[in-house]
Amino acid sequence: MPETTEKFTILAVDDTPENLDVVKGILSADYIVKAATSGPMALKIAEKQSPDLILLDIMMPDMDGYEVCRRLKDNELTKDVPIIFLTAMDQTTDEAQGFELGAADYMTKPVNPPILKARVATHLALKNSMDQLQSAFDIIKKHKERMQQELNVGRDIQMSMLPVDFPPFPERTEFSIHALLKPAREVGGDFYDFFFVSEDEICLVLGDVSGKGVPAALFMAVTKTMIKTQAADDSSPASIVTRVNEELSADNPACMFVTLFVAIVNVRSGELRFTNAGHNPPYILRHDGKLDCLDQRHGPIIGAVEGVAFREDQVQIGEQDTLFLFTDGVTEAMDTSNQLYSEDRLEEFLRKADNTPDQLTGEVLSDVEKFATDAEQADDITILAFRIEQTPGQIITDELHLVAEIDLAEIERINTEFTQFAEERGLAAGVAQKVCIAFDDLLNNIISYAFDDDEEHHIEIDISVTAKRLVITVADDGVPFNPFDQVGPDTSLSLEERDIGGLGVLLVTELMDQCSYQRRRDSNVVTLIMNLA
Amino acid sequence: MEISVTESGEVRILSFQGNLDTNTSPEAENAINRLIDAGAQKLLVNFESLDYISSAGLRILLATAKKLKASQGDLKICCLNETVQEVFDISGFATILSVSQTEEEALGAY
Repeated sequence: MPETTEKFTILAVDDTPENLDVVKGILSADYIVKAATSGPMALKIAEKQSPDLILLDIMMPDMDGYEVCRRLKDNELTKDVPIIFLTAMDQTTDEAQGFELGAADYMTKPVNPPILKARVATHLALKNSMDQLQSAFDIIKKHKERMQQELNVGRDIQMSMLPVDFPPFPERTEFSIHALLKPAREVGGDFYDFFFVSEDEICLVLGDVSGKGVPAALFMAVTKTMIKTQAADDSSPASIVTRVNEELSADNPACMFVTLFVAIVNVRSGELRFTNAGHNPPYILRHDGKLDCLDQRHGPIIGAVEGVAFREDQVQIGEQDTLFLFTDGVTEAMDTSNQLYSEDRLEEFLRKADNTPDQLTGEVLSDVEKFATDAEQADDITILAFRIEQTPGQIITDELHLVAEIDLAEIERINTEFTQFAEERGLAAGVAQKVCIAFDDLLNNIISYAFDDDEEHHIEIDISVTAKRLVITVADDGVPFNPFDQVGPDTSLSLEERDIGGLGVLLVTELMDQCSYQRRRDSNVVTLIMNLA
Repeated sequence: MEISVTESGEVRILSFQGNLDTNTSPEAENAINRLIDAGAQKLLVNFESLDYISSAGLRILLATAKKLKASQGDLKICCLNETVQEVFDISGFATILSVSQTEEEALGAY
């Protein structure tokens, strides 16, 4: 029965007008009945008037009912209209063929009026339910998309908080560091951070916020910011963690918490002080292949209890020793049969590893991914590796600090002073020549284009030499500009086609072993490195 | 930067001493243009005493090569030190310009 005042429309198809009259007589009291006397006519009406149900004869000249049914099901506009075959044929094979084509029902003529009425009403009711289900599904789908957007917002917050430019301190040759975070489908609230708290002390942070989604991402952002703020005037991990815990637990209605590992490493002395607040114990991979687990714990998770005084411990790390930090996304990664990656597997992998931090982080992630195969990643995976490259005793550094005024004539003076410095240190003539070429192009660029005001500016150049490397930084307080973003010239063109320009940056990047650019506060800092071995 | 000019038949030979960079390139370009303006069509740039060349120096070589080619002239370069050779390789100038090991070899190729 129609549930609204609006009547359902039924399309009856039969090549015999008398049969159509019979159907009309039975159904027209309750429904609007349209009639078609051939297959093509039925298809046309079905497409234009979208009936709610079709009664379809099978034996018709030109196009039989099966073909009409096939075409209705192929058409996006008519494929969902229920079809009842109504025919004189009564063999079961025909019935089967009708159902195979997607018919809703099958009745033989002559029709029994009450049965026809009942079947039509049933299929209309069924169609009605299907439509309601479909619209409910559409609503759910829309909600799901909105939730997905929220997930993306959380991930954007999380990822935008992380330092992702490596190497982050290219001029620091005494250590190397690398970190990566592979977010789960739903944000898990992991984070890492590293920053200098003094000339020689670097703070390393790794944390994992409870919960998921936007709340976890926001809590992560707050925690990370708080740690950096506290560390600015406090170089004890225990006291940083204690103060961050006080602030986070004092006003935490959502009862979120974070597991945290904070370390401060003196890169000159190799002294490592650390506080572990409920986090997975990190490892130290010693240069001789030994693996130490830093399993000391210094207090509970952060944000849960006020008034806790966290403690700290100290260990020594030396040349080629690596501190390896990770979140439980690594050890609790599951394979398809719900087995955990586990500490055992991680330790086994680390024992065999002898790599630079950037290789190590990537290889551990690959190993976890290989283990998990097709299982969905349930939690963020975060890894941070920090290695002491040279102990201070072995670093024989020679330094030169030069300041250039904003005047092209200064380039010659800088190059002369550098060449003299290089000669005195016994550097090869080629090294000095290449650096001079780099200076010529970089300084020319800066002097010509970096300043658009009348203020006084200058360019700071710092050069340091060890037995292995020459490291140069060129800093200017001009407009933000990354020279290495420029597209180089096509060096394969002929003389006629070659354009003048773009060559300078190409020469710099090719002549130096490493080039990088960073915008630091109000300065452009370009770092050039040449290997001297 | 010192530039000296000698002659060998029709060829004008420019010898550069020092560096060819932002500050010295205008002077070098003037010296080259004076020769071309005076009718020289065959130029040989001898880099034997050149320490290094930056992109500013490459720029005037490219401009000169284009100019001479357009007027059926010829620019050749000889005697690159290791660093200058590397710069020529990186920039592709080693293939678009005519470069010789020695002055004799270059003169024989006109």
